Amino acid sequence: MSRLGSGLGRLLPFLYAFAAILAAWLFVLGVFRPHVSLLPPPALVAREFWALAVTGELFKHIWASLSRVFSAWCLAGLIAIPLGLAMGRIPRFERIVDPLVELIRPISPLAWIPLAILWFGIGEFGKVFVVLVGTFFPTLISTVAGVKRIDPVLIQAGQVLGCTDRASLFRKVVLPAALPNIITGLRISFGTGWAAIIAAELVAARSGLGYLISNGMEILRADKVLVGMAVIGILGVIFDSIFRFIQKKISWGAA
Amino acid sequence: MTAGGKPISINGLAKTFTTEAGETVEALTPVTLEVAAGEFVSIVGPSGCGKSTLLSILGGLLEPTAGEARVLGEPILGPDIDRGMVFQSYALFPWRNVLGNVEFGLERKGLPRKERRTIALDYLRSVGLQDFATKQIHELSGGMKQRVAIARAFATTPSTILMDEPFGALDALTRRTLQKQLLGIWQEHKKTVVFITHSVPEAITLSDRVVVMTARPGAVKSIIRIDLAHPRDSTSAEFRELERTIYADLDAELAKSIAEEGRTPVVQKT
Repeated sequence: MSRLGSGLGRLLPFLYAFAAILAAWLFVLGVFRPHVSLLPPPALVAREFWALAVTGELFKHIWASLSRVFSAWCLAGLIAIPLGLAMGRIPRFERIVDPLVELIRPISPLAWIPLAILWFGIGEFGKVFVVLVGTFFPTLISTVAGVKRIDPVLIQAGQVLGCTDRASLFRKVVLPAALPNIITGLRISFGTGWAAIIAAELVAARSGLGYLISNGMEILRADKVLVGMAVIGILGVIFDSIFRFIQKKISWGAA
Repeated sequence: MTAGGKPISINGLAKTFTTEAGETVEALTPVTLEVAAGEFVSIVGPSGCGKSTLLSILGGLLEPTAGEARVLGEPILGPDIDRGMVFQSYALFPWRNVLGNVEFGLERKGLPRKERRTIALDYLRSVGLQDFATKQIHELSGGMKQRVAIARAFATTPSTILMDEPFGALDALTRRTLQKQLLGIWQEHKKTVVFITHSVPEAITLSDRVVVMTARPGAVKSIIRIDLAHPRDSTSAEFRELERTIYADLDAELAKSIAEEGRTPVVQKT
């Protein structure tokens, strides 16, 4: 009973947001009466959604976008987490790497799209590369912060309890202590990666939700554009909640 | 089954720090002190007198600038599971539950799972937390956390337990309970204990000897032996007399440390 209540409570803000968007949409339709190719009515978009879903085309695009984000995000984690752990633990190493990170980090992953196309063409790797850039830095920054924020007294406690070599101290204390921050970094970077893949697909792709949107624009089908946008938003929320759930499980009740 | 405490010999131990501005700060001037095997020694002194520095050196977490400390003749070269520590901020591992924290050092010693569990539960029982073994750390009060930390430190059967103001963050009543439990566990296992505190009554209640340290740079000012039988009555005349003696020594040092703090502005004025 209370579980159902709390589930409903969490869903309620989204229902409210959904209603607000729908109201604004209907308002604009009523006042400005735009052409259907610019802003179609909700019913038409719903029908297009259904059409794309039953033909399986929608899921093909979702799968294309998701698999790109997922592989880039995993790759970014495989590089950024060990690098971040090393930067957090070894000040001398951090002093060498940090300026490089600080210089490249402000460059939006979108700014890498032209280079990615030049280097890798419009094949899969170009898009994975753009998402890799977008997911790498949030993961790295959170990992470094996670290691640096470890209470020094926990390190000392580990040492006097028998973790006298670097390896065991790292495995038994540093890694578990930094884990909640690493998970946060992974959650944030999945979000930035999800934003980056849509942008990359807008420019150079033959599949994916970004392609669905840009193709809809080219053939003057705003209903397709809106279906794509809605799916991007909904999937973004779903993945973020999954990560928040994992985060809650792993942050020892601290968060 | 458990090995008792070992004697600690501190010989001319000194420590200077270099600040970021390049100034050298003398934290500890040569300290020489003998602690007998199984003895409970408390250290009191003004804030910043280097008590914690001394304890960190004994723990092997900090290297002295001069002198050395030995445990049963063996020089202290680094942290060792034979010298347990209890910190004011508990320093429990929040990703492990209560039992997992107490088992941590036992895992490092390579004990099999079953044995670890039995030993950990034994020590949790001696601090009255056997029913909390599966609780998470964030579910515990401050006093319970420190009891877990004490169980964790004693469970690895170290020869020495170094305690850095362990009860400093606790309320007076919790403090009394924990003092009793600490005394009980110390009397049972006969470990050598070096205990830092700001509370003179606490030092008298627990210790065989109380070491008063001078204002910075820290040195041994006086050592007072407490020859009272346990449990000690803090309202007795003997207790009160010891308190008076220690406070007299301490007050002289507190005055110095206040004068030290006040010196800089006075110089600036003239």
